[in-house]
Amino acid sequence: MTYTPELIDTLAAAYALGTLKGGARRRFEALARTRADVRGAAQRWQARLASIALLQPGLQPSEQVWKRVHNLVQAEIQLRQLAAQRERMQQPQTRADAEQTSASARLLRWWRGGAIAGVVASVMLLAVALRLNHQLQTQPVVQYVAVLSDDKSAASMLVTFDPKSRQLTLQRVSSFAEGENQSLQLWALPEGRGPQSLGVLPRDRVIKLTAAQDVKAVPLLAVSLEQKGGSPNPNAPTGPVIFKGQVIQRQL
Amino acid sequence: MPQHINPNTADAAAAEHARMLAALLERMASGEQAALKVLYDLSAAKLYGVAMRIVRNSEWAEDVLQDTYLQIWRNAGDYRASLAAPLTWMAVIVRSRALDFLRRRSAERLNDAEEFNDELHDGHGGEPDPSELVLAGQEARALNDCLSRLEARQREVLVLAYLRDLSHSELADQLKLPLGTVKTWIRRGLERLRGCLQSKEGGGLAL
Repeated sequence: MTYTPELIDTLAAAYALGTLKGGARRRFEALARTRADVRGAAQRWQARLASIALLQPGLQPSEQVWKRVHNLVQAEIQLRQLAAQRERMQQPQTRADAEQTSASARLLRWWRGGAIAGVVASVMLLAVALRLNHQLQTQPVVQYVAVLSDDKSAASMLVTFDPKSRQLTLQRVSSFAEGENQSLQLWALPEGRGPQSLGVLPRDRVIKLTAAQDVKAVPLLAVSLEQKGGSPNPNAPTGPVIFKGQVIQRQL
Repeated sequence: MPQHINPNTADAAAAEHARMLAALLERMASGEQAALKVLYDLSAAKLYGVAMRIVRNSEWAEDVLQDTYLQIWRNAGDYRASLAAPLTWMAVIVRSRALDFLRRRSAERLNDAEEFNDELHDGHGGEPDPSELVLAGQEARALNDCLSRLEARQREVLVLAYLRDLSHSELADQLKLPLGTVKTWIRRGLERLRGCLQSKEGGGLAL
């Protein structure tokens, strides 16, 4: 059989789709092992068709799924730690082990310490992409984003600020929920001045607020846990600050 | 389809989104659990949609989804940005987990024919919304565009063949169509898809 480029491409398409079966599939695979152009065609079709899955409409799974994933991952991590501990106890620590331990301890400290920036840098991109959905028809804009994290550096809230409309959009990304008689309050922490309240947050997962002042000049945002209705003191949080993060400018 | 998407802006958004997801995968690879949560929040609805389309039962689809994120967590370090966009990589995982699930259950799925019949008539099984398409990236948008130029039945047979990894005769069986018809639709569908994708890729295929 003469394999014209045309035929190769047609076979590659059927191969990637999965409808090339049996002997024909085996012959194609044998050919692919010896010919780079055949391999290339198959890979190109696999890549193209992989997006079929992405064209399916999204659907919200129940919240149970995340809890199960979380528990499984947690269990896996604990098992690994236990295994590592057992190993350490069985043999005296070598120098290499010691170095490794201190390296991971350093990493941990880095994460727990002022490492919000790292999370921000990555999570920031997401917030921007999400906001962009609504802005596809508009001009490129400057966007301000922050990821507010808890004391373990776990991302808890994504914040974007649109300076044109002065609109703040907050999205809760952790499972944290304030109690019945509590409220969360968002604060701007400008340099050299006291905190300014940006508002008491409703319980919604996605919250939109119009900021009274310009958030873009503010280096830090914080969320405090207050009695219901917000801090009795209008100029400062009364309750503990539970999330905070830097505001970062993003040019689109 | 109401899609007035500016391709340049859309590509920029998709690229940002992909970089974001890739960064989260990198964090996960170094053991950062918080990154998994963010990744999950960003992608679970998309992947659950895929799982549902393949297994068609919400309980099973949730099992598949759980399994998928566990795999993603374990294999985050294997992700290579040069090979595929993160969302595509994750979609490949969810499809393969869903197919594994169905293989394990194959003895139990004997009463699905009616569901398949229904599905053939609802086109894509629902259109993705434009913002979803944007984040799915350039490749997915090109494919969507080319698929939407096919006859609805041709398109549907292609989509089902791929998602559920079905042979011609399995498709004929499940769709209650003559084998010859299925073969023709697939051949013509792929042929037209090929022409359309080639022209979109600027004819720059090294053939």
